[in-house]
Amino acid sequence: MVNTYEETEVAVEKRFVPKPLDINADIAWAKINKDILRSLERPRPIFWVIFIASFALFLVGVSCEVYQYQTGMGVANLDNPQMWGLYIATFIWWIGMGHSGTLLSALLHIMHADWRKPIYRYSEAMTTFTLLTAALFVLVHLGRIWQFYYVVAYPNERWTWPNFQSPLVWDATAIGTYLTSSLLFLYIGMIPDLAICRDNAVGIRKKLYTFMSLGWMGTDRQWANFRVTYLTLACFLMPLAVSVHSIVSTDFAASQQPGYHITSFPPYFVAGAIYSGLAVIITLFIVLRYTFRFEEYMTMPILEKLAKLTFAAGMVWTYLNLIEYATTWYGNDMYAKQALIYRATGPFAPEWWLMNFLGSVLPFALTFKRVRASIPVMLFMSIFINFGMWLERWMIISPTLAHGIYPWTWDDDQWPSFIQWGIVAGSFGWFNMLFMLYCKIFPSVSMYEVKEMLHERRFFKSTNVATARDSAINPDLAVEGGLAS
Amino acid sequence: MSKSHMLALFSDFDQASEAIRDLKSSNFEGFKLDDVTLKSPIEHPEIEELLGKRPVYVRIFTFFGALFVPLLGFLFVASSQATFLLQPKGGKPVIPLPPNFVLTYEFFILGGVYMTVLGFFISAKLPMKRNKLYNARVSEDQIGILIKAEDAIMPAIKDLFTRHNPLEIMGGDN
Amino acid sequence: MSITNLLNNWSFYRQKRPYRGQYDLNRQYSEYKWAMALDLDICTGCNACTTACYAENNLPVVGKERFKHGHVMHWIRIERYWDENMGEFPEQGASFLPMMCQQCEEAPCETVCPVGATSHTNDGLNSQNYHRCVGSRYCSVNCPYKVRYFNYWNYPSTAWPAPLPDQLNPDVTVRTKGIMEKCTFCVQRLNEAKSRARTEYRLVRDGEVVPACVQACPTSAITFGNIVDPKSKVAMMWKNQQVDLYKDMQEKDNSVRGYRILEDLRPFPSVMYLERVRDMEA
Repeated sequence: MVNTYEETEVAVEKRFVPKPLDINADIAWAKINKDILRSLERPRPIFWVIFIASFALFLVGVSCEVYQYQTGMGVANLDNPQMWGLYIATFIWWIGMGHSGTLLSALLHIMHADWRKPIYRYSEAMTTFTLLTAALFVLVHLGRIWQFYYVVAYPNERWTWPNFQSPLVWDATAIGTYLTSSLLFLYIGMIPDLAICRDNAVGIRKKLYTFMSLGWMGTDRQWANFRVTYLTLACFLMPLAVSVHSIVSTDFAASQQPGYHITSFPPYFVAGAIYSGLAVIITLFIVLRYTFRFEEYMTMPILEKLAKLTFAAGMVWTYLNLIEYATTWYGNDMYAKQALIYRATGPFAPEWWLMNFLGSVLPFALTFKRVRASIPVMLFMSIFINFGMWLERWMIISPTLAHGIYPWTWDDDQWPSFIQWGIVAGSFGWFNMLFMLYCKIFPSVSMYEVKEMLHERRFFKSTNVATARDSAINPDLAVEGGLAS
Repeated sequence: MSKSHMLALFSDFDQASEAIRDLKSSNFEGFKLDDVTLKSPIEHPEIEELLGKRPVYVRIFTFFGALFVPLLGFLFVASSQATFLLQPKGGKPVIPLPPNFVLTYEFFILGGVYMTVLGFFISAKLPMKRNKLYNARVSEDQIGILIKAEDAIMPAIKDLFTRHNPLEIMGGDN
Repeated sequence: MSITNLLNNWSFYRQKRPYRGQYDLNRQYSEYKWAMALDLDICTGCNACTTACYAENNLPVVGKERFKHGHVMHWIRIERYWDENMGEFPEQGASFLPMMCQQCEEAPCETVCPVGATSHTNDGLNSQNYHRCVGSRYCSVNCPYKVRYFNYWNYPSTAWPAPLPDQLNPDVTVRTKGIMEKCTFCVQRLNEAKSRARTEYRLVRDGEVVPACVQACPTSAITFGNIVDPKSKVAMMWKNQQVDLYKDMQEKDNSVRGYRILEDLRPFPSVMYLERVRDMEA
């Protein structure tokens, strides 16, 4: 592909060759502020309708949980041996979803992939809220919730500590670390944006932003520190994103049960996490783009890149999934083979095949440009891919428990009850409420990073030829409202 | 001799960097390059270099955090396992290394992140009260240069700024 | 527990526990290691052991509906296996296997409890601490035998309508909802016997204390005792059957019937089963 920029006269002192930008290079900086801050204004009535619906859903979950708390876990239709069910599956699914937010924020920052700049803020927020949602399930699934604090290492007069050998305690440590680090990362990254909000707000909001922006003035010293801090945090968050879901996978990998005790579980879980996280980032992309009219920032080229990344993650997940089947067959371990055959042919077969279809076959639609360019289709696909990944978590947990090593304990009859589904639905309501509140109080697109994106590109805006060519390729990039001030 | 502040606002980085170059090459009395602060909506490493390398202390905090927190974490975990010496679990040793490695790794990241954030707050001197001469346009699309200098040389500096087409000059007369 | 106490005892405990062969006479640390031997040829599947266990350990009877639903709470269960082609009637050819907590020496359930509610005692039992259990159910997920039972319902409020609470065993806790429980080899009886023996400056004699299931079995299919004592019946049975507590996949003669269940997973269970004698020619 001919690079038009080589034909234009580029001044000698410019250091690097520009690449085509994913957003229009001519957006005025003041306009960026205005557009994004517009999303923080008083919400339309539809916002309240959806918020109250989410709250109602959350209340469904809460009432199911109260019933379960008072009567006993038996109402969830769990039994011996099916001791774990949808709670653990949904817990792992929520945590996994958050990993892509960190991937986008941290890994792509280190790799200087600028297309992440308009979209990473809400992704990072999504990460924080999925972790908060997952934390609910940790409590819900315990038989004696009122003593959940035994799992935490708190000093007490009996010198009792949690059992650090247990993968669940590793989970607690890893997820606690991930939640706090993610929150700090989100907050630190938001400080310049909070300064912008502070400068444009009135009343109680102004007080909130003033407090949270810590007197940020954009001085060179502050920016220098900020740059170093952000990069350092990104360097720490990247291994965290990988290790957290690996640790969650050791809940299963450190067990002896067939279908759990699989060496490739840590990378498999991380791949599944990235995959489902990217799908939810696409879903939220489409929702936010439509709701707040962020078409200039969350552009189609960025959606393209997200879709391609989702496809790549899907292929990684597919490979790890299929190689698990291949090694099970090849290894000839009696229990493991039984577990696999049971998944494919037993009572969970419809869900298992659906999971494989949604996870491995459906993403091939993303290879077609027409699919990637069509917003309704992408919305549909991202939701179904995510659903496939939820099924995957469930299909890891339940079939092994139903059909374990010991034939006498095989139990085909159990199906999750309304209580389990109700609590799973309630978690969606909870997540939705948190995310909607976030989008209305804090900017969901990072204003200063978009300006940085434009600034780098603007170095090379010596003629209009480049901009015209960009618009010719992608009409979405057509200049709106004139050049920069 | 009293000092006062002056803030000049420019519309882009090029003019601001020219102004700073001029300030740098000028030899006003009682005026150091250190007293020049750039205020901008985004970072700009080149101008920062012009202003001289100002030290960033964040990484020192990171180093100590990533070193000592996992060490303390391992000691904590090992000592709690040691108090349960009489309750062996699964035939595993009292202080098993694989689980402790996982936990130490997590503490390593925890320590690194927390100390980095602490270092950021300390090194950037946040939270701080905003300067009187703060203009909200700095967070939008204008570049500000704030200087602190003696009253006597203020007019000279004002002239210097005016030569570079500032959008606005604030202060200068206390 | 003070640090000096810890340091003084550390080398002592660390050399002895956990250690394979810790019940070895030459490196004897503990005087007791409880083990069982179950002869499947003698077992008639009469369920007396299960009933006795219910009575001794305050187990709730859950009823037919909940039994079908998988919520049964029997700590020892009689498993029935049918051989094929065994005769004219479908009821013929059943084999019975009483299965209870195998008190594994390297129990997979002990490592994974997040709060440390289950661990290994000095006398070789896998202990379950009801007060500490928060009900995460990871131990049952890890158990290959699935002999751990979770209180899915609040049985104390429904299982014993008056005057049944009068028959509850006062030595055994009544468990509420959300707690994991399992066979303990009737630890309340063992503790009482050990304490009585200690007051008489001796060890518990072979046959002095037996769990409820062993006591109730009409055919004496279960043998229970202290495997550290080389003259106890159970130790001699294990020796004759060439089953070693700390070995898996052992070389044995064809004539011996003794084996342990799921030995290849290496949990080193403390229950040995003697295989049913089958008439191969018929």
